[in-house]
Amino acid sequence: MKINGVTIEDTFAEAFTMRVARIVITGRTAQWAREAAVKLTGFATSVIGCKCEAGIERPLVAAETPDGRPGVSVLFLTMDKASLPEQLIVRLGQTVLTCPTTACFDGLPEVPDRLAVGKALRVFGDGFQSSKVIGGKRYWRLPVMEGEFLVEETFGMLKGVGGGNFLILAADSDAALAAAEAAVAAMTDLPGVILPFPGGVVRSGSKVGSKRYKNMVATTNDPFDPTLRAATESRIPEGVNSVLEIVLDGTDAPSIDTAMRAGIRAACRPGVKAITAANFGGKLGPHHFHLRKIMA
Amino acid sequence: MSDAVVLTLREQPKHALIADVIAPDRFASLDATEIAALPVVHGGRAAKLGDFFKVKGARATTLRIEGDLANVEGIGTGMAGGEIFVAGSAGRDLGVQMAGGRIDVSGDAGDNTGGARPGASRGMTGGEIVIRGNAGDELGARMRRGLIVVIGDAGRGTGRGVIAGTVVVFGKAGPGAGRFLKRGSIVALGAIERPATFRYVCTYLPSYVPVLLRYLRARYDLAIPDGPITGRYQRYAGDMAELGRGEILQWVRGEA
Repeated sequence: MKINGVTIEDTFAEAFTMRVARIVITGRTAQWAREAAVKLTGFATSVIGCKCEAGIERPLVAAETPDGRPGVSVLFLTMDKASLPEQLIVRLGQTVLTCPTTACFDGLPEVPDRLAVGKALRVFGDGFQSSKVIGGKRYWRLPVMEGEFLVEETFGMLKGVGGGNFLILAADSDAALAAAEAAVAAMTDLPGVILPFPGGVVRSGSKVGSKRYKNMVATTNDPFDPTLRAATESRIPEGVNSVLEIVLDGTDAPSIDTAMRAGIRAACRPGVKAITAANFGGKLGPHHFHLRKIMA
Repeated sequence: MSDAVVLTLREQPKHALIADVIAPDRFASLDATEIAALPVVHGGRAAKLGDFFKVKGARATTLRIEGDLANVEGIGTGMAGGEIFVAGSAGRDLGVQMAGGRIDVSGDAGDNTGGARPGASRGMTGGEIVIRGNAGDELGARMRRGLIVVIGDAGRGTGRGVIAGTVVVFGKAGPGAGRFLKRGSIVALGAIERPATFRYVCTYLPSYVPVLLRYLRARYDLAIPDGPITGRYQRYAGDMAELGRGEILQWVRGEA
């Protein structure tokens, strides 16, 4: 299969089941909501080193938020049920609570599995906190020097999908970067999906484990490293000199599907030779995103 | 089972009609005949609900009541769920000690709405009451939890002895509002006569008020202007003669 002259390899991206929460942050202005979201999602690229993966899903206009202020929707993922509330409590407490004018709401109100995140954060109020029940939901009011921080008592938790991906194989690094930027632009703000890496792009894709260091969980993806073409069992076609990866996490597989379709289509541009994906032979992750099926 | 039980007042009671059996969760398991046979007290004498109301529908948790009910007392007493829509006004003791559900009154409501039974330490412990007209005295007295909203004016002693919960008054709140307030909030969008035992603490943007007012706008289709949603409020802490952990939030009119 070719799109705009770019080969779509007959392979699939292998993704994992993760636990996901959607956090809605509002602020006096869109900028303050974004400031909090950027801090909250900082150092959250991969569970390998960060224990969580997070990113901004999309900006929200005032009409979409519970308090009628501009906001940002964030998706937050961990590998298991227990670590999601742990990570959220620590991160929301240090980033959103501290950020001027913000409030924090659950973005998955219909989900029955609830995490008592606001309930844990309330103790920052040192006994001066109070709660309000509005429309059947409890909100905690934490007194802060600026005035008051509002956080919803519980947040919904879903089984999400982490590790959707595709690799852009290009003739040179400029073409790879331009294609990756175009793919990210096409996927940004799509509902139910985040791109947790810097600018949505990964230059250091990894393989599981190590050939040399037994304590390493992940090491460089040498089959796709052009500088190692002669030193390893390379999977890089002739004429390819740079590879970039896009990693996607989401609330469900159809959302990942839609985003991959948009991203791959945008990445098929001059200088790109092929699009492929990373998998582990289908043995590790239950979600398989077949590139040719997605693009058909 | 029908979508709703409809009670239509067919005979105006000459005296106070105590109809504390009117509660949607109570009607949920009864047919029309059984509902009509429920006991009421008229002028101190035992009577049946069907003596005053035509009953239509059965086994529903939504209840519509039509007619001038200003003389009908205790509607929604102790209800724990379901919805009551009153097309007109309701008498005193509306929603007394209710624990859940919603009451929506298109007209006025009498004294002790959402309050406590005589001698009881707690008023309503949950649910929502919306009065689109005016409310009588001692609105929400000793309420422990829940939400009461009055679009018009409220009488004397609004929120008297509130333990927790929220009372919102769009019009004027009468003298003694919030007296003996332990916790809980009185949100005043109009004038309010505060007891001297409340202390001014600050003028600010209370974080939950926009959420609350936008919820009311959407849930009850109330025409709430943007001003109170985005505006600042003066916060008065009190009642200092009690716990002092309650608040009166008075909207600073004229600011955006």
